[in-house]
Amino acid sequence: MVKETYLHGKHVKLGAKMVDFAGWHMPVQYSSIIEEHKTVRDHVGLFDVSHMGEVFVSGKDATKFLNKVVPQSIDKLQYEKAVYCQLTNKNGGLVDDLIIYKIGIECYLVICNASRIDEDLNWLVRNRRGMNVNIDNQSHNYSLLAIQGPKAINLMKKMGYNIEDQKSFTIKPAVIADVKLLASRTGYTGEDGFELLMENEYSEYLWDEILKEGQEFGIKPIGLGARDTLRLEAALHLYGNDLDETTTPIEAGLSWSVPKDKVSDYNGKDIIMNQIHNGIQRKLIGLEMEDRNIPRHGYEIYYNGEKVGIVTSGGVSPSTGKNIALGYVKNIDQIITGTTIQIMIREKLHDAKIVNRPFIQKRNKV
Amino acid sequence: MSYRENMLCSKSHEYIVKDGDKYVVGLTEYAIEQLGDIVFLELPSVGDNFGKGETFANIESVKAASEIYLPVSGEITEINEQLVDSPEKLNEDCYEGGWLVKISADNFDNDSKDLMNYDDYKSEVE
Repeated sequence: MVKETYLHGKHVKLGAKMVDFAGWHMPVQYSSIIEEHKTVRDHVGLFDVSHMGEVFVSGKDATKFLNKVVPQSIDKLQYEKAVYCQLTNKNGGLVDDLIIYKIGIECYLVICNASRIDEDLNWLVRNRRGMNVNIDNQSHNYSLLAIQGPKAINLMKKMGYNIEDQKSFTIKPAVIADVKLLASRTGYTGEDGFELLMENEYSEYLWDEILKEGQEFGIKPIGLGARDTLRLEAALHLYGNDLDETTTPIEAGLSWSVPKDKVSDYNGKDIIMNQIHNGIQRKLIGLEMEDRNIPRHGYEIYYNGEKVGIVTSGGVSPSTGKNIALGYVKNIDQIITGTTIQIMIREKLHDAKIVNRPFIQKRNKV
Repeated sequence: MSYRENMLCSKSHEYIVKDGDKYVVGLTEYAIEQLGDIVFLELPSVGDNFGKGETFANIESVKAASEIYLPVSGEITEINEQLVDSPEKLNEDCYEGGWLVKISADNFDNDSKDLMNYDDYKSEVE
């Protein structure tokens, strides 16, 4: 059965076009993807991302346990801080990508992809043998709203948020419109903003309040369509497209999230460390089309007449007017930033140039 | 010319309407609305021939790429070139300024038998 978030009725009432996404009936757009995209870049947008998973990990060995299942050094994570990381398998491939928050002593909040909750739970349970740790999937009890865009902070302050100087990638208990919740300064758009975690029963009230109070800042509800174009411009990976069980963090260009000096073992560490030291066979690239054709997921990438890779995410970039993509190519010296490659689109090769990622200037660091 | 009154529609959401001795072909407003923001359009060349139901053009919205099928067999006699440069105009108007191609169709009567008038088409898609 297709699942619905607590806000499903709100989306339908707003006239959203609804689609099935990872087993959830979600809004893909309310008005126009391009319009919604620009609203987030220029003003502020509100997203219902309650389909995402919330798993609480606690117990005497919680730190030790999480340290064993992700490459990041969870033992170094401080209270109220967040870290982007990946759940690796024995081959260094990715079961999922996650954000882990330290919310107490030996207590963590793990936010995972809607499409991967079951796999993640399975994998976590299989890895906890012999450890004193409690894995509690609370996804069904919590709603997650994202407020994203340059005006997000103004709107939050107007609604009673009074935390001074909350840094990116931190989470704090906060009060917004008299509702107690957890405010995380994170997002999936490349803009400054917040993700607000609350018990389901408050979500409808807050959704309405945020849209009402946000009017003076030009707020709009934003669907999954614009969420995708926003994250693509920011070159943020999408699990299932750009990441999967056969892709390692090094191949995916996520070396920055893999400490070189971590002492404790984790799944796939040998393979991942070997790739860091000895190189990889394929690598993630960003590309920009030289003509008006649009690169899309699954299109083949060519270099000098030879097939060298595949597009994993692609589409239009409403902010730049260019057509852009992420993809994987053979890791050869000739294919670097500035190299012209070709994308096979409708049985014809079209020139594209490899460019630096992200495709836009990110403004999410505060 | 009143498009909605005179046009015939296919199940794949193309319309065709007689204009002098030629026929105008485009996509219905329902199709455009379903596609969302149009960002790319590829049209054939004048003189190209297509059978009924063959792909003669490609259209892409932000979300996805789709093919457009010729509702009857014919030869392309004119294309709406302005639209290729600004396909987003289709979101405002898919008829007067937003037609795609004009064709000559020798076998129209036979080819158009399975096409619907606008009212039938509307009740079909709703």
